Amino acid sequence: MTFRRPQHGPLVSILISTYNRPQYLAEALESIFRQTWPHLQVVLVRDGGADVEEVVRRFDDRRLTFINRSENRGLPYSFNEALAHARGEYICYLGDDDKFYPHHVQRLVEAIESQDRCGAVYSDLYKVHCRVKPDGRRIALAKNLEISRDFDRMLMLQFNHVLHVSVMHRKDLLERAGGYNENLNVLIDWDLNRKLCFYTDFLHVPQITGEYYGPVGECDRISVQRRKNVQDYLRNVLTIRTTRPPKPWPCVEDLSVLVLAERADALLEQTLRDLWSHTFYPQQIYVALGPEQASGWRPAVPNVVVVPAEPASSLEKRVDRMLAVCEGAYTALVPTGLAAEMDEAAWLERSLCPLLECRQPYQAFELVEATETCWGAVFRTEELRRVRRQYGHLPLRASLQAGGFSVRKPKFEEYPFRFDHFLAAAEQVQQEGDWGYAAQIYAYLAEHFGNGLWMRTRQAHALIQAGRCGEALQVLEPVLSVRPTVSGLMLAARIYQKQKNYRRAIEFYEQARRIVEGTEVQRRWTPPIRRKAVKPAADEPEMSTEESRVWT
Amino acid sequence: MDLAGALHNPDQGWMQRYEIVKELGDCYASVGEYESARRCYEQASWLEPDEAGPYVGTGVIELQQGRLEDAELAFRVALRLDGCNSRAWAGLAMIAQQCGRLQQAFDYYLKSLELDNNHLTALLGLFQVSCQMGTFRQVIHYLQVYLQMHPADTSVMFCLAALYAKEGQIRQSQDLLKDILALEPGHQDARQLLEELEHKALQKGRNEV
Repeated sequence: MTFRRPQHGPLVSILISTYNRPQYLAEALESIFRQTWPHLQVVLVRDGGADVEEVVRRFDDRRLTFINRSENRGLPYSFNEALAHARGEYICYLGDDDKFYPHHVQRLVEAIESQDRCGAVYSDLYKVHCRVKPDGRRIALAKNLEISRDFDRMLMLQFNHVLHVSVMHRKDLLERAGGYNENLNVLIDWDLNRKLCFYTDFLHVPQITGEYYGPVGECDRISVQRRKNVQDYLRNVLTIRTTRPPKPWPCVEDLSVLVLAERADALLEQTLRDLWSHTFYPQQIYVALGPEQASGWRPAVPNVVVVPAEPASSLEKRVDRMLAVCEGAYTALVPTGLAAEMDEAAWLERSLCPLLECRQPYQAFELVEATETCWGAVFRTEELRRVRRQYGHLPLRASLQAGGFSVRKPKFEEYPFRFDHFLAAAEQVQQEGDWGYAAQIYAYLAEHFGNGLWMRTRQAHALIQAGRCGEALQVLEPVLSVRPTVSGLMLAARIYQKQKNYRRAIEFYEQARRIVEGTEVQRRWTPPIRRKAVKPAADEPEMSTEESRVWT
Repeated sequence: MDLAGALHNPDQGWMQRYEIVKELGDCYASVGEYESARRCYEQASWLEPDEAGPYVGTGVIELQQGRLEDAELAFRVALRLDGCNSRAWAGLAMIAQQCGRLQQAFDYYLKSLELDNNHLTALLGLFQVSCQMGTFRQVIHYLQVYLQMHPADTSVMFCLAALYAKEGQIRQSQDLLKDILALEPGHQDARQLLEELEHKALQKGRNEV
């Protein structure tokens, strides 16, 4: 492991797209030019909206590339445009109303350069709940670490858990993935992360290196507004889930879904719709149809390959046809008429995941809903092919038996998202008031599922609620020594307060206050730009220097 | 208001900053740094103008500094924002008690305990006022309720034992005093009162013979 010193280090391109938020853009840019990592290129795209030239003029820095476009084309278009100008080895992003702490880029460069496995790294960010005053000033009311989760590829395929502003990735990986999808108008960060995870692991740096804002009450964020259109939002989700970036995929093994349909009828259409809406793992769907069925049939969902079959051919023949052309390392046999439950989000994955983790050869897992008459399962493709080649004369399930396949239903504890199931259980027992049991579950999760700082903080919180303050402090202290969050400091302060150790409580509360007010970080900064102080209104109490700024 | 959210997940909710400065105010008040406490309460009430907590805190520090008028004003503002604030009622009761308005103090303490029967300051205040006024029945009820929740609180147990003795319920008083001594063998007041009661019982027995 070698880390190159900043003077010889790699160039990092930071991409920003701005639209109608000139009042916050200055602070976002300021936070970039305060970075301790000097080798930066900043590509700022004005995506239409309010003029920002005056703001940009204040940053007379040769590292800034400004693309001044008056037409609004949306975020994905802007980022693709910015990418075309990016020269950095690494790329990171900043919202036009968010900000980095000064060590953000340096910390991520150190992380990405210190290992070879991960071409993408990400840190933690505070979500700043704020009240927006009529003059545009934002008053910080809380700084929460809403997301701090170790990388989990299966989860990333299902939904995002890495904030866009917290990511730094190798530029070549995104080029390989094909850039941003300009047909999306929401969740573009998930689309990016999901595509990247086909090519690389992500490394989580559990340090807080920036902030993004969320106003209390009605949110003006475009992404939040767009999520209100449920149909459009779902369209975006399904588009992202069905995106198959260019191969080869070094980190994801493809799944071929062979639909056991006899004809192109309503049952087949329903099965395809179920696959589309109840599964998330990358897949290519194959349907073997005779010429009279195939002609004129257009599947209503993406990623479907029609395999020509002889008219009225047997189930086995159709399976063998599809097996001959499918490309996935894993194959799911899915009968038509097998309904997925309404809120099931991992229909096939419940059988696929145990197989992905299984070392035993010739093991297959039945679909959870499968019955004797409506049967399906997930296999390793090569093993299934070998057995069918050898015992192709036998009916499908008899051939599996003859080939030595062990086929069973997955157990509940083998389903994907075990961490999330446990987490939900802990939250449930909390709701029921059993804080002691919740603390036990959090401790178990911290020990067995990573996410240590997050789970230990939850454990300490549960122990306090259970009245076990001494134990809570023991759990909390090592967490705070690594990552002193506002909520963690408040928990410690509350314990000392309960123990009537007010001096110690004051220390912790004061540190939490400095973080929320922005003065904890500011002490390490040297402000490069002189700006006009905003005078507080007569009824406002005395505030810190940071308080009188646009961002507080 | 989303303290409920924060109760279940420490990284939820948007009242963190208010909570921090308000609690800081309470801590500074507890160590006697009233000016720091006042600044914290001011900032807290600026952040959440509809919350009663900072006004109660201000009332407490004014009371501790003997500024009864300012304290009363603060408690009344708190009650205007939250009529069910037990601490504000207890604050008003203490002011009334200090001003010698015993009946008013008694009523306010009772109001405070109705809202929170776990409020020790109100309970002990009610006990003191009851002693001053010579009315004990209601305070006995509240002491009993409090002890159901805090069965090992020897200071409250002693108050109740003393009231039992005053009301002539000698057996209950003796039992309670023995419980106190089992929990805290060095409790001198309990030992003295128990000896006194036993002595009286002995004399009474001799007189009857």
